[in-house]
Amino acid sequence: MNRESLGRTLAAIVGERQVLQRPSELLVYTSDGLPGYRHHPALAVFPRTRDELIAVVRLLAREQVAFVPRGAGTGLSGGALAEGTVLLGLNRLTRVVSVDAENRLAVVEPGVVNVHLTRAVAPLGLHYAPDPSSQAACTIGGNVAENAGGPHCLKYGVTLNHVVALTVILPDGEIVSLGSADGEVPGYDLLGTFVGSEGCFGVALDVTVRLSRNPQAVRTLLADFTSLDAAARATSSIIAAGIVPAALEMMDQATIAAVEASIYAAGYPVDAAAVLLLELDGLAAGIDEDAERLRTICLDGGAREVRVARDEAERTRLWQGRKKAFGAMGRVSSHLVVQDAVIPRTRLPEVLRAIARIGEREQLTVCNVFHAGDGNLHPNIPYNANDPEESARVHRAMKAIMQTCVDAGGSVTGEHGIGLDKLDYMPLIFTPESLDAMCRLRDAFDPERRANPGKVVPVHSCREWMQTPVLR
Amino acid sequence: MTASDASPVHAGGPRDTRDVAEAVRDVAATGTALRIRAGGTWLDAGRPVASGLRTLDVGALRGIVEYVPGDLTLTARASTTLAEIDEATRPHAQWLPLDPFAAPGATLGATLATASWGPLSGSIGLPRDLTIGLEFVDGRGIVVRGGGRVVKNVAGFDLVRLTVGAWGTLGIITEVSVRLRARPPRECTLALDAPRAPEALAPLLRTLRDAPLTPLALELVDGALARRLDVGNDATILVRLAGNDAALAAQRTLVESLGLTHEVPTECWGRLQGSLPPGAYTIRASRRPSELAALWHDLGRCVAVIPGAYRQATLERGIVRLIVPADAALALHGQLAGLAERWHLIGEQLPAESWGLLPGEAFARLASNVRQAFDPRHLLNPGLVTPASTA
Repeated sequence: MNRESLGRTLAAIVGERQVLQRPSELLVYTSDGLPGYRHHPALAVFPRTRDELIAVVRLLAREQVAFVPRGAGTGLSGGALAEGTVLLGLNRLTRVVSVDAENRLAVVEPGVVNVHLTRAVAPLGLHYAPDPSSQAACTIGGNVAENAGGPHCLKYGVTLNHVVALTVILPDGEIVSLGSADGEVPGYDLLGTFVGSEGCFGVALDVTVRLSRNPQAVRTLLADFTSLDAAARATSSIIAAGIVPAALEMMDQATIAAVEASIYAAGYPVDAAAVLLLELDGLAAGIDEDAERLRTICLDGGAREVRVARDEAERTRLWQGRKKAFGAMGRVSSHLVVQDAVIPRTRLPEVLRAIARIGEREQLTVCNVFHAGDGNLHPNIPYNANDPEESARVHRAMKAIMQTCVDAGGSVTGEHGIGLDKLDYMPLIFTPESLDAMCRLRDAFDPERRANPGKVVPVHSCREWMQTPVLR
Repeated sequence: MTASDASPVHAGGPRDTRDVAEAVRDVAATGTALRIRAGGTWLDAGRPVASGLRTLDVGALRGIVEYVPGDLTLTARASTTLAEIDEATRPHAQWLPLDPFAAPGATLGATLATASWGPLSGSIGLPRDLTIGLEFVDGRGIVVRGGGRVVKNVAGFDLVRLTVGAWGTLGIITEVSVRLRARPPRECTLALDAPRAPEALAPLLRTLRDAPLTPLALELVDGALARRLDVGNDATILVRLAGNDAALAAQRTLVESLGLTHEVPTECWGRLQGSLPPGAYTIRASRRPSELAALWHDLGRCVAVIPGAYRQATLERGIVRLIVPADAALALHGQLAGLAERWHLIGEQLPAESWGLLPGEAFARLASNVRQAFDPRHLLNPGLVTPASTA
């Protein structure tokens, strides 16, 4: 089947307006949240109901067409890009299907926006805990695909810890239930395996998530340091002291400057080398004692000042600066590479120093804004992607930063996924045998390798690899 | 818990991962299947498995490989016991909060292979949530590593979650990296009398779930078990609290307002963990947590007709365990079909003839594809997890 006839057949399922084929209409779908990649889907299709989605996937199976599932397209690893294949947009499946307040469960369609779910259950005193910075736009389906994190994952865990069941349509059209909200089920943990599979194992028709009770009390602290090293060491001290803050975020001088110069100005001290944004939550009883302990650890570790947010307005402002830091960097230059790596927490001071040296060597500004509490770094580099020479330096710097993190015993991604962008880094942390095992696992779900082809595992790592057919 | 009647492979037992891989490649050449064994605590759950298997004893793969207290991470070879890890982490005021109901010699590898958990799972999570990386030898004798040694990691497809709970049928776990927690500096355990009347239990459980409490564990034990643990004479809710002084005091006051309460020594949790009678059979039953009171009373009816049986429930997870003495297999068998109709059942240890009464996996084709990808000849622990598909 060629592109035109596939388009017509899909339109018969979802309606003309839900199929995009003209290059101008598809332009917005040629990139995701990460600059530097442009991939051109053959067409894009947007089912509006579960039945339409099932019919679309089954049609693609019948016609042996490869496809790329996509939520809001906020991903930061090029994972939702399609080159010559079908882009399957899930962002019109936006129903919160049901909420079980007593058991704190909700069933949602994959296109529900992360923060919309929290808003929908707020009257019940509940929220959905994983809170990636893109939560105002990103979808639960996308979060499942990436096993997304966020600042509060330090205490509450990543997406997987909040997904109890999935109904999935496999690439061949079979519908399976993974996990269960109604009790334990026997067999392999295929739910745990599916979450984070980056759209390569199938498409979620619905997601049953666990909701969390709103904490009785919250304390948000801002600790201000005159050296990055001291802030990093204070982080290690907090972790070693056994306190599990709800969040423990670090921002360096370059990030603070960008935020304070933007409309998201949060009142961070612009002369600080780094700040730690700390949050405690839980029972009201005892929270001030824990906050005082955190304050003491930071002051003992060389903090100039530790400020406790006095009210909800100040708290929101402190968080807004953190969550919109990427946006604020948009003022600095036209493009931004948001990098994602993880290191053992005790290695923070030395790795941050090494990253600074790499930035100097390549004459680039590295802005560090990251989840210090779990060692999840985000060294970001503002640059002009249209300047090939600067792009080359950015690429070199990123590679060197990754190698530094791997050498420190780390991983190449903590929450953004591998997608396309990090394929080359996979052999840094996995043996050829382990990469081949991942290929075999994918083949168990998608033997034809039609779901999000070419992502996550470098194709040459698969013992038997095949070319993905491209639509003409 | 019967060991297979088999001759051991690899003279003297494998000493390291390479030996394990070699042993698997050896048997792969002849098509001989393996029963994997370390501490011998969880062997085959009593499943009706084929005889004539050879035993691969990985008990020598033992010892902590790396422990960085500042990172709260630890890497150990698979047959390291939970007790050894406890001993190593205690001086640093840390722990691996895995508390499966098992003998003290339970190994880390087997705890993860069987995804065994205990009361702490209600607050801290399942074995898969504490596992950050592992190494295993698959059914073709190939060494595979998933995850890493850092606490947050989404690189590649998740071989860790896949292997945890797979009962060794996808690979023989040889090394594991786990995340640790700080040991709570102060804790106390309160025993709260559970109401006898079925209609009074549900509201109390709801109150407990909605109350401003952050218990480490919340376990309901019936009268028989309460007496054995010396925490009460009748059904009792054990509330394990932790936190700073103010948090402890407030929670204690709250629990005391809910009914007759007395403090019990924290050691009762260790006794609970080791309370399983030798050779006992265990099933877990579950539904949504809101149905727990009904589930508890339904299993109470079973306990009444099975001599020596008792029950306990992990409240936050909505799961009740029914424990039946070794000599009451027949009575248990008589109850299983009915229970399986009303509840989700998981067999931990069952009489061989009872396994058929439990529903199999719903999507067997997918599970079988996964098995095929890692152990195409079904050489590893055949008969476990997907009994129908293996000879």
